[in-house]
Amino acid sequence: MSETDIRGSSRRPICLATAAALLAAAFQGAITQVGAQAAEAEIADLVGVWDGGPRVRRVNGPNMPWTAENFPVLNERALAFQQVFDEAIAPKYDCVPSASPAIQYDPYFMEIVQWPDRVLIRYEKDDQLRTVWMDQREPTLADYSIQGFSVGRYDGDALIVETSHFVFDITGFDDYNGIPSSQLKTVTERYWRDGEELRMTLTLEDPLFLREPASYTTRWLPAPEDYRLGPYECDPEEARRSVKFMIPKYR
Amino acid sequence: MKRTLWISSLVVVVVVGFVFTSLPAVAHHSSAPFYDPTKSVEAIGVVQKFVFRNPHSFLFIDGEDADGEAVEWEVELGAAVSMRRAGWTPETIGAGDSIRVVGQPSRAPGTYGICCARITRPDGSSIRR
Repeated sequence: MSETDIRGSSRRPICLATAAALLAAAFQGAITQVGAQAAEAEIADLVGVWDGGPRVRRVNGPNMPWTAENFPVLNERALAFQQVFDEAIAPKYDCVPSASPAIQYDPYFMEIVQWPDRVLIRYEKDDQLRTVWMDQREPTLADYSIQGFSVGRYDGDALIVETSHFVFDITGFDDYNGIPSSQLKTVTERYWRDGEELRMTLTLEDPLFLREPASYTTRWLPAPEDYRLGPYECDPEEARRSVKFMIPKYR
Repeated sequence: MKRTLWISSLVVVVVVGFVFTSLPAVAHHSSAPFYDPTKSVEAIGVVQKFVFRNPHSFLFIDGEDADGEAVEWEVELGAAVSMRRAGWTPETIGAGDSIRVVGQPSRAPGTYGICCARITRPDGSSIRR
């Protein structure tokens, strides 16, 4: 693969955001910082638009993807947070985007684009774009964010993504169980192809709130041919509308 | 016909949950904090507006409560981006349409929310235009 190849570009449409990002990267010369591993090795082909909706897997909720079997073991700090948490203050009702480890299981489509020096994962949910750097760059203190800072490598037929530098998030665990996550949270994702399916095992660690790592595995199916991710454009008024239907925890 | 019937204490979790006639529109987040899945409510009225947005669309219906008082029902639907894939558009339902909704009632007293609803014309026919 040449340094300027975009894998799968002949088979899959490239979104405007991706094209804009490519131009910006080319301008900055970043595209020349090609990881030797990506350039020389046969890498997993994960390119495409992927369906993570209800036809593919059970819709997320308090018991999905975290079931009785894999539910994280919370420490006393997490249990205390959970006890006082009021669903009404969840940031999602103000259109704050979902983040790892929840956004991967939200029932929406996502797109993967593989470049030599980075992998782009774009989520239809909340219009989120994650950049997975494949060029061994290191995060800085300026890289703390909702989606964190991601680095990746190929391991055989799999893509390994390691993400750190998350900001504190009062519902940073899964959006449903009132469990926060801290700046110490790290998320490791392993993506691989199984026939037509895309599969992923996610492992979550956060020593501030979890006693031990927790993990789940899920899948996506190819999106219908020519499907393009739609704009999400979360509307804060509609996001909060149903909050009044709850009986407040504190009255 | 404007008529609203309350059917209390009716377990409808399996059948009613997440089902629409012809056009599915799943509310993806956990509805349990907002709506009571052990009860069912029916609202029949006239559509005031259909808000086709993310993260959740809403349908506003001028109808009546169990006592025959005029109320505005707010029916929570799925994310517009997901509903569009299932065939919905902002024009699927329009202001002035007569409509019937059966779903889970909102929990807070004095509110008129409905979730996880089955939506039809008042005669039970499909809303698909």
